[in-house]
This record gives sequence, structure tokens and C-alpha cells, in this order.
Amino acid sequence: MIVARGLTKKYGDKTAVDHVDFAVPAGTVTGFLGPNGAGKSTTMRMILGLDRPTSGTVTVNGRQYAGLSAPLREVGALLDAKAMHGGRTAYNHLLWMAASNRLPRRRVDEVIDMVGLREVARKPARGFSLGMGQRLGIAAALLGDPGVLMFDEPVNGLDPEGILWIRTLMKQLAAEGRTVFVSSHLMSEMAVTADHLVVIGRGRILADTDMRSFIDQNSTNYVRVRSPQQDRLETVLREFGWEVAALPDGALRVDGPDTARVGDAAGQAGLWLHELTLVQSSLEEAFMRLTAESVEYHAGVPGVHTPAHPPHDGDGEEAAPAPGQPAQVPQETQAPPGWGPPRRAGDAGRGQGDVR
Amino acid sequence: MTTEVLLPEGDAQPEGRIGFGAFLNAEWIKIRTVRSTFWTLVALAVVSIGLTVLFCALSANSIANGSERDTHPDELISVGVVFGQVAALVLGVLVMSSEYATGMIRATLTAMPRRTTVLIAKALVLAAMLFVIGTIVAFLGYFAGNAFLDAKDIGVPLSQDGVVRALIGNGLYLAVLGLFGFALALLMRHTAGAITVGLGMIFVIGSLVGLLPGKWGDWVAKLMPGNAGSQVTVAHQYHGDQLGPWTGFGVFCAEIAVLLILGWMRFTRKDA
Repeated sequence: MIVARGLTKKYGDKTAVDHVDFAVPAGTVTGFLGPNGAGKSTTMRMILGLDRPTSGTVTVNGRQYAGLSAPLREVGALLDAKAMHGGRTAYNHLLWMAASNRLPRRRVDEVIDMVGLREVARKPARGFSLGMGQRLGIAAALLGDPGVLMFDEPVNGLDPEGILWIRTLMKQLAAEGRTVFVSSHLMSEMAVTADHLVVIGRGRILADTDMRSFIDQNSTNYVRVRSPQQDRLETVLREFGWEVAALPDGALRVDGPDTARVGDAAGQAGLWLHELTLVQSSLEEAFMRLTAESVEYHAGVPGVHTPAHPPHDGDGEEAAPAPGQPAQVPQETQAPPGWGPPRRAGDAGRGQGDVR
Repeated sequence: MTTEVLLPEGDAQPEGRIGFGAFLNAEWIKIRTVRSTFWTLVALAVVSIGLTVLFCALSANSIANGSERDTHPDELISVGVVFGQVAALVLGVLVMSSEYATGMIRATLTAMPRRTTVLIAKALVLAAMLFVIGTIVAFLGYFAGNAFLDAKDIGVPLSQDGVVRALIGNGLYLAVLGLFGFALALLMRHTAGAITVGLGMIFVIGSLVGLLPGKWGDWVAKLMPGNAGSQVTVAHQYHGDQLGPWTGFGVFCAEIAVLLILGWMRFTRKDA
């Protein structure tokens, strides 16, 4: 359990982390999401006592990090894979860490096997690839069998196998009841790994919510339907009380029902359908919208921001033609910055951000 | 694709209480598992012993036949330390600056967040290593160099006043000199910068202040770290107005202590 209260870090005039409150619960993977420079790494360094907060506190298992008597037993951290002397072997790097917390020497061999570095354990770390360095960093984090684990951008630069390995590892660690706190600037990565989400932008917490409700709140879904009997279909669909709008290419946009209900409605009316698609906005777009708002907020728009409840929540129409009005302007030019055109669910294979 | 991870439970229980001893052990493993330590110490030994032997061998004849009256046998038996001190200073700098250069400092402080304790452990391991190596090197240099002097019947016996003190003094001087580099690295967090300043203080400024006029200038010269500290490394003081061996070493220790305290303040108060 990691708890931050009013955590603030200023570097001169620049505020990197601004009165941040959050709690990272045990037993789940908590994603720490934000664009580069949002304050993720600074926050993690403060958790580990590497950087001193300007004000506020952050505790691990109820105590400040510096007060932990055997820190590696309680917290394992992968901040960056290069936090080691390139001339020292992987084995010796883990050996001094084990010695510092009086962990048994055999534990070094165990974690080396765990991360699959047995063959290179006696070689200097400077010759390691990024993926091997990352594995060594994870071995160091697991050394003390800690209940709290933190990973800062763990999948950066890894190949697909390495990414899958880390995802699986994090989920397994959480399933064992541990606290897992993982940062990323990629929503798509968080969507497949994290159960809980803390979103940070410009040093402020923009959302602190479980992944399911973040997706529900931030993804705008609608049904795209095309029929040779477009006018009749539109009338039929309106009779159900759904919002129907014409899309630029002539198809209809239906907000509210899922594809099954739209198809059933058309079938009952005896109408032909040429297309019936569920269109989802990607989480990446929802995330960009959130952080774009944090930019707006800092530019001085008052009172537009409430954490966990974005002001445009459930208001996706802003980016699309108003219901019932024919769209005349191409979608691209209508979309405000950071809120691009929705992608089709059928494209999920290409767009990683699409989540069903 | 198998991505199974096995996490044996309860296998990472700490053995005993984690205190200063664990930190010392960790820092000891760290210092002996990088090659720079090994090579710096090899350089220290080779240069110190080699030069002591060389000076003794080359001067033995001329001293014995009286053609070189300004050189005394008991100054030669530990003369190599003048050059060995470069290695000690570099090692002291590297022990700390490499932590910042490599990013190791973050691993160090996550494993050992008690900063004052980790700093003391680090300094102690460094100083102890340099004292032991420095003293052994000084004795080896003495035995090897003195053999050449003995051959000409101008040998300096260990029993002669000041000889053993000078040889042990070499170890002490190198240990504190290493701490000098360590403190500079703490303050500057930069390898080349700290080495440059350290060598400049000992070799350049230490000599240049001798040119300062009057009594005031003499005192400044006497109190310079290298000048004050190295008095303990010679068996007999022949050259002019200097502090006594132990007085000089005490002044040196006090000066380095001030630097260490400044470094400690920076280390414990600033972000890593």
C-alpha cells in the first residue's frame, strides 16, 4: 500500500508534482499514466526517498521509505535499468544488494533464474541489451521478495516477448496479493495490464479510478449503420428514442443501443442493412483528451476540471455533428485537438488503443 | 510462449538485524567488484614500490661515495608515495563519482536509504582499504629499496627513529587522501572535475603557495593539505620550515573532515 498526501515537488519555479493525493492498493496492478514530463518519475523517486518532497508526504506500508529497516524486503523498484555500474557483473550487482539487506546469497541465484539471466550472470552489465538490463533491474526488485513493487516505464524499448513477460509478471505479482505500481505514457499498455488507474498530467492527478469505470466513462461508443432505405431506417430508429445523426459519408450514427438492438429494430421493420458496426473511440484518445484538459486548465480556464469526472464526460457529441443535423464539414476539421476521429472496432488489430 | 515466473515464498528472510555491518559488507562487495579498484591499486603499488626502488638504486652509489650530500638515505625509503598519492586520490574520487556517473546511486539509496550510515560505511571501506594497501606497499618499497642502500652500507634500519612511523604514515596519508577525493566527488558529483581539483590542490597549488612572501606565506604553505599531511610519511624532515609529522597529519585530517562534513550535508539534503 502506497499513500501520497498533498505530495508536492518544486524545482525552482517549476512545479513537477502539485499536491498529489492517491493510494495504491494491494492485490491489483495500478497503472500510473501520464505523458512524458507529467511527474511520474519524480513521484516514484519521492516514494523511494531519492527526492525530497517540497511538501506533503508519501508512505509505503504506513511508513516513509527512509524509515524502513529492510527496504528491499518491503519495496522492490525498477526505476531505470541503467542504475548499475557497467563494469560489475549482474551477479555481483545483486550480491551487494542482498548483502545490504542481509538477504541470503542463494536468493541471488533464485532471482537470476527467475528472470532468465543465468548464462550472462557473470558478465559485466555494460554488455547487456536493453531487455537484459531490464530483466536485471527486475531481478533486483524481486530480490527481497517485497510486498510492494514499482516499475517505471518497464516495457520501454522491449521486444514483444519481453513486453509479454513483464505484463504476465506484473499480473502474477498482483495476484499474489502484492501492491504493483507501474508507470507508463501509453494508455494501450495500461489497458491490458492495469486494474486500477491513476492519471497524472502536469503534476496533477486527473483521474484515480478503476480501469473498468475509466473505460466506461471515457470511451464513446456508437453504432454505425447503413441501409439502402436510409430515411425509413432513421425514422424507425428515432421511434426507439435513440439519437440518430447522419455521418459525412451518408451512414447513420446511432447513440445509445448496441449493434444487436439496432439490427433487431431494422429487422422488425423489414429493412435491409448494408453495414452495422460498433465504433469505439480508443482509450488513447480518452487519455489525450484528459491530459489536453490539464493543459487547458493550466492555461487559465477556470473551473473546468474535476478529478475522475472529466467535464466532457458522456458528452462525446461535441466532437461529432449534433444529432439530427446533416453533417457538412469533414470530421477531421471538427475534432478539437487531442480528440481525433473515432476508430472502428473492426480496426482493433491495427489500433492498439481499441479496447472492447 | 512460456512466460511463467516462479516466486518461491519465504526464501528472502533477512538473516539477522540490518545495521551498519550490512552496509559495510555491501560497500565492501561494491568496491572489490569493479575493475577500476583493482587497477588503481595495482598502479599505486607498482608506481610507489617501483619509484622507491629506482631512487634508492640510482642514488645508493653517489650517497655512499659522498658525491651527493643533499640526499639522505632515510628520505629515499618512502619516496614513491609522492606518486602513489595520485592513485589514492583517484580511487577516492571514483568510489563516489561513479555512483553518480552510472546511476548506481539510486540503487544504493533504495537498498540503503539511511544516507549518513551509507556514507560512513563507504568512507570507512575506502579508507581501510587504502590504509592497508598503502602500509603494505610502503613496507614492500622499504624492504626492496633499502636492499640497495644496505649493499652500500648506508641502509636505514627499521629500528631507526621515525622509520616505522613513516611507513605506517604512508598508509594513513593515502587513506585520508582517498577521503579527500571522496569528499570532492561528493561535492562535485563529477569524476574529471574532482580529480582535477584534487590533483591541483596537492601538486600545483601546494607548491605555488611556497612563493608567497613573508611569514604569512610560509604558514599558508605549511597548512596546505598535501604539505601538511605528507609530513607523516617521511622518516626525517630535512627541508625547511614544516609542521611536525603528527601535527601536520592532524591539520590534514581536520581539513578533510571539514570537506567531508560539507559533502555529507550536500549528500543528505539534496536529491539523489
